Amino acid sequence: MSKADSPMIEARDIRKAFGSFQALKGVSLTVGRGEVVCLIGPSGSGKSTLLRCINHLETPDSGVVRVDGQPVGSVEKNGRTSRMSARQVAQMRSQIGMVFQMFNLWPHISAIENVALGLIEVKGMSVAQAAEIAREQMERVGLAAKCDAFPEHLSGGQRQRVAIARALAMEPKVMLFDEPTSALDPELVGEVLQVMESVAADGMTMIVATHEMGFARKVADKVVFMDDGNDVEAGAPDQIFDNPKSDRLQRFLDKVLA
Amino acid sequence: MELDFSVAWTYLPVMLEATLLTIMLALVTQTIGTSIGFVFALGRTSRFGVLRFAVWAYVWLFRGTPVLLHLFFVYYAAPLFGVTLDALPAAIIAMSLSSAAYNTEILRSGIQAVHKGQIEAAEAVGMRYGRIIRRVVAPQAVRIVIPPYMSNFISHTKNTSLASVITVPELMLTSQMVYSSTYRAIEILSLAGLIYLVLTSCLTGLQLWLERRTSYEARGMSRRRRKQFLGASDASVRMEA
Repeated sequence: MSKADSPMIEARDIRKAFGSFQALKGVSLTVGRGEVVCLIGPSGSGKSTLLRCINHLETPDSGVVRVDGQPVGSVEKNGRTSRMSARQVAQMRSQIGMVFQMFNLWPHISAIENVALGLIEVKGMSVAQAAEIAREQMERVGLAAKCDAFPEHLSGGQRQRVAIARALAMEPKVMLFDEPTSALDPELVGEVLQVMESVAADGMTMIVATHEMGFARKVADKVVFMDDGNDVEAGAPDQIFDNPKSDRLQRFLDKVLA
Repeated sequence: MELDFSVAWTYLPVMLEATLLTIMLALVTQTIGTSIGFVFALGRTSRFGVLRFAVWAYVWLFRGTPVLLHLFFVYYAAPLFGVTLDALPAAIIAMSLSSAAYNTEILRSGIQAVHKGQIEAAEAVGMRYGRIIRRVVAPQAVRIVIPPYMSNFISHTKNTSLASVITVPELMLTSQMVYSSTYRAIEILSLAGLIYLVLTSCLTGLQLWLERRTSYEARGMSRRRRKQFLGASDASVRMEA
């Protein structure tokens, strides 16, 4: 199998428990290059945990994650698996962009410095180089005029766009969005979805955990319905939204689309 | 009894000399205490249980016993380890150890007040522990800890007076020596009190200045960073340069 045919993200049989709560009960997911996959499902169904296992913010109890063919978190050598070093994990993470529900911008530095920090600290760029890329990314998310603003002075939608710019600046191979619009006022959701749509249109491989069914239907190549720590049903948006097979998906859609 | 403040004037040079020692003792022990406290605070928030426990035990011991006891203990126990310590080094050691315990707790509170999501965001771009501490946690923690840190610094400065009991000739002991030879306790103690007030007022001023300096949203980007990140397009920047 040549590299171009191999999936960009491959998660196999991921299990994760928090105490006695089984958050993921053996979930598998394959995302092709340039594909957009939306994860839908009720709160607590494991969407966030799956994303966090993919970039190793959570260590899965078992299962394998590969991004662009490279294992994340653990390495297999002579049939034995061992944990990656902190340096290797960090190196992998720098290639996996992550956007959080609560934005998680750093409040003590300006928007443009938020975007530039990873370039300086991880990629070792000079401030001038990093600033130039950061300015481009701020422009890309439509916030060129807000470069010197501190997070506290930005709206929720603007903060999330800065967070997207921060992740994009690292030139990641994939982008993970963890309910990026769930903390936003309804009138601010659109501007963030628009940016995400343009990122998808540029060919980025994306996994988006979301409650925005309209976005999933319009932008996703594949929709995965998760419930109770399982990937219950997956398919093209039309199939998932118009012809749900499982009862659980049917019931979920009845609730959210009502 | 009549008060005669000319005594205070006469002995002012002696008192000021003692004040220098008080300042030195406060600054040196606070600096050492802060450095140890910072390392210990990292230990206290580490993911290694043994480290967390060791630091906890240290704080428990040194915060739970009087500084006065530490002073006597270090001073008298040193010979057991084959060294004889002069009063001043003994005081520096004892007061640093106690300062470290308090500063561990203060700095830990600052580190833990930084929201976990901030750290995760830094991890997600690929930053590692040291850089996350330096670039994300510390700058935010510093601001949070300024009020408790400075309060502690102020009480620590006053506590240097305890070193008088092991014969460190700082301000308090010097005052006692002066008034026991002049019988002018009220006058000399008033002068000492005034000097302590000046010292602690300086610290209060420093606190205000630090709080203003670290209120980042209110201040906006510094001129230097504005130039670095936004280019020289800003006319005011070009004029400054």
